[in-house]
Amino acid sequence: MLFNTTRFCLFFAVVLTLFYNAPRSWRKVMLLAASYYFYMAWNAKFVLLLLTLTIIDYTAALWIKRVPPGAKRKLLLIAGLSANLSFLGFFKYYNFLAGNVATLLGMPVHSFGLDIILPMGISFHTFQSMSYVVDVYRDEQAAISNPIDYALFISFFPQLVAGPIVRAGEFFADLYHWRRPGNEELLRGFLLVVLGLTKKVALADQFAKLSDSYFNNLAGHPGALAAWSGVLAFAAQIYFDFSGYTDMAIGLALLLGFHFPENFRRPYLAGSITEFWHRWHISLSRWLRDYLYIPLGGNRHGTLKTYRNLMLTMLLGGLWHGASWNFVIWGGYHGALLSLERAARPRVRLPIFVYPLRVLVTFILVCIGWVFFRAATLGDSVHVVYQMFSGRAGIGLWYRWHFWLACIMLVLALVEEKFGWFECVVTAPAWVYATVTVVLLLCVELIGVTESIPFVYFQF
Amino acid sequence: MITAIRPSVEPLSGENRRPHLLGRLGLVALIFCIAEGLIFHTSFYPSIAEPGSTAGTLYWRLQNEENRQRSGKKDILAIGDSRMAFRPRIANEGNSAMAYSFATIATPGTTPRCWYYMLREIDPRARRYSAIILPVDDYDDEDWEDIAGRVSDLYYLLPILRVSDLREFSMSYPANAARWEAFRGGLLKGWSYRRDFQDLLVNHERRMLEVNWTRTESAKSFYNFVWTTNSLKGMSVDWAARKISYPPDTTEEQRRVLNNVLLRGTAPQVGYLAAYRRKWFGKIVEHYRGSHTRLIFLRLPRGPVVRPYPVVKKSGSIHEFASHPQVALLDEHLFDELEHPELFVDSLHMNGPGSARFSEVLAAEVARILGR
Repeated sequence: MLFNTTRFCLFFAVVLTLFYNAPRSWRKVMLLAASYYFYMAWNAKFVLLLLTLTIIDYTAALWIKRVPPGAKRKLLLIAGLSANLSFLGFFKYYNFLAGNVATLLGMPVHSFGLDIILPMGISFHTFQSMSYVVDVYRDEQAAISNPIDYALFISFFPQLVAGPIVRAGEFFADLYHWRRPGNEELLRGFLLVVLGLTKKVALADQFAKLSDSYFNNLAGHPGALAAWSGVLAFAAQIYFDFSGYTDMAIGLALLLGFHFPENFRRPYLAGSITEFWHRWHISLSRWLRDYLYIPLGGNRHGTLKTYRNLMLTMLLGGLWHGASWNFVIWGGYHGALLSLERAARPRVRLPIFVYPLRVLVTFILVCIGWVFFRAATLGDSVHVVYQMFSGRAGIGLWYRWHFWLACIMLVLALVEEKFGWFECVVTAPAWVYATVTVVLLLCVELIGVTESIPFVYFQF
Repeated sequence: MITAIRPSVEPLSGENRRPHLLGRLGLVALIFCIAEGLIFHTSFYPSIAEPGSTAGTLYWRLQNEENRQRSGKKDILAIGDSRMAFRPRIANEGNSAMAYSFATIATPGTTPRCWYYMLREIDPRARRYSAIILPVDDYDDEDWEDIAGRVSDLYYLLPILRVSDLREFSMSYPANAARWEAFRGGLLKGWSYRRDFQDLLVNHERRMLEVNWTRTESAKSFYNFVWTTNSLKGMSVDWAARKISYPPDTTEEQRRVLNNVLLRGTAPQVGYLAAYRRKWFGKIVEHYRGSHTRLIFLRLPRGPVVRPYPVVKKSGSIHEFASHPQVALLDEHLFDELEHPELFVDSLHMNGPGSARFSEVLAAEVARILGR
């Protein structure tokens, strides 16, 4: 049940109606039931997996809380995390590892392969529950005694599939101190849902058609222009797709009175790779920083170890996205760029007019990284990067209106960066709010792609 | 006291400044309806839609008929799908002395459901034409395709479908998925036009040239259209062996279609077509009830050869309409002489000579029925 389907619209309308009309004590149960229904609409059998992980982490956290700090408590933490990682490892990485082992042994790649279906949202909800267990271990979060509350934290449908990765503290603060959202919040939520829908259906899916036509037929599109247009289309697709999903998730949660953290802040306007990761998939960056980079030592143990920690964090971050060497390389590429950036950090403040150039260079570097993210194989990635910088021009894939679309989006991003147009619209007179919403709805209606294209991050 | 009701000049309180949720959402709905209505529920967008698209074809057929110069004679309008090989020019030239002027809005791919809405649009008061010519494959009802389920009707009818039609139009589809598509597509016409709109964004210059050409030339071009002289001459069918001897130049695709149409099996007769015809032809008859317009049904030439397979047809819905005083049925066998491979370009459609002969015979017969 994708957010951009009629079925989900009906589902959400029913949830919203029931939620606000149910007695307060029933609302949590109602949301939990809705979340499990949402999950089961994808595959009912896998609800057992979700339930098992929920029980494991719920129990682990309660147990950890009862044990005084020491070796036993640490053992419990390791046991809890291992359980999560085993499930994640089996479902997501078994075939990858088995394939590599088979290759090392000189056997066909699929020799030890299993027919495994990747459970929906497993990467997101395992990270969310792991962070909860760690927070309880660190005494930064109280262990939740009500199983319904905890189950809702893990399965809450707006963020179940593709985040944002919400911290337990943030979620339970909303849950325990829930207050009916004001009109302004509801209008913000509604506009966010419409904006997210527009990003997904009208922009991401349009650019997906271009990037798919390039990446699915590399031999048919030789030359630098074709390569750049395919890669730029994918850069646009993945941003609009994921940030569109996130906007909808945040908006839907807001309509129910929950506040999710910001997940994207115009990442392509970043002036450095470091800044890019402060703007792109912020909830994952924050997770990797707090539960991987800092525990590894962060930047507290000398330059070399800092680089090692950066590389390890980004390599694992890359692997989190998918079980293939392409994602490992993508993560390693970003780790290397972050390390290089750290090493070459200017000691003097650069003049302001250099900033656009930095943005451009950062964007190009990010785009090169996207090649490894999107291409089907390592060989394809190398081919595309070679084509991007080859002497042959080739033929671009973008139509003129795609350029106009990209330009309008760039202008909107700049205006948002400088003036925050979104908030202005929320608080503006009614006719401004209505006009902007209608323009977005008309974009969905007219520019939207008819074929249903799944969200990119659903596969993670 | 006056002071008790004076308007406040003090700053509004925080409570009052809070945006009104329902008011804003209502305004969103209102502005959306206005924008959608002005762009897609008027003739604005259909007039720039791709002229060769389903909606564009239908729009310009109706537009050309609307703008056709009247000769002062009594107008007779033909309607139908691609099988309706009626050529007004031949009919008019061959019967120039007659008191009738023939025209057609036959549109390939359309069905009687479309014809009802087309006639209602072109002749809303039901007094413009002396006669409407309505073609059918057979006066009896043979179920071989459930045309009630054709979602393409929506895409033809976009330029003329009204919001008030949506309930009946969408409910006329047998399947729920098609009903939903028809309802949503008719309500949010922009949604249905989205492929066309995106094509306009990509090829706006070419589109404008096409639209301008269609506006000025398509009526003439359609009236003077030169039909193909290709034919199935030399084709024969061994019905016992179920084998077709194809003419020398037929392509694989043509052979496949000939096979599918001529050698098709007999579908179970369940009464779908009868119900469909009673509904949509019934609505046409109802539209013209009490007017001076005659409704003339004809059975089209069945094909290059006549299939000998007997079908036990349960009903003859067209015969039922014959009892209505305004309805006339042409002799079923009027066009039997045209059912020859030389006069057909494929298994269903007549070629230039076939259509010319068909038009002459039809015009003469219609004129005879109406009285010269």
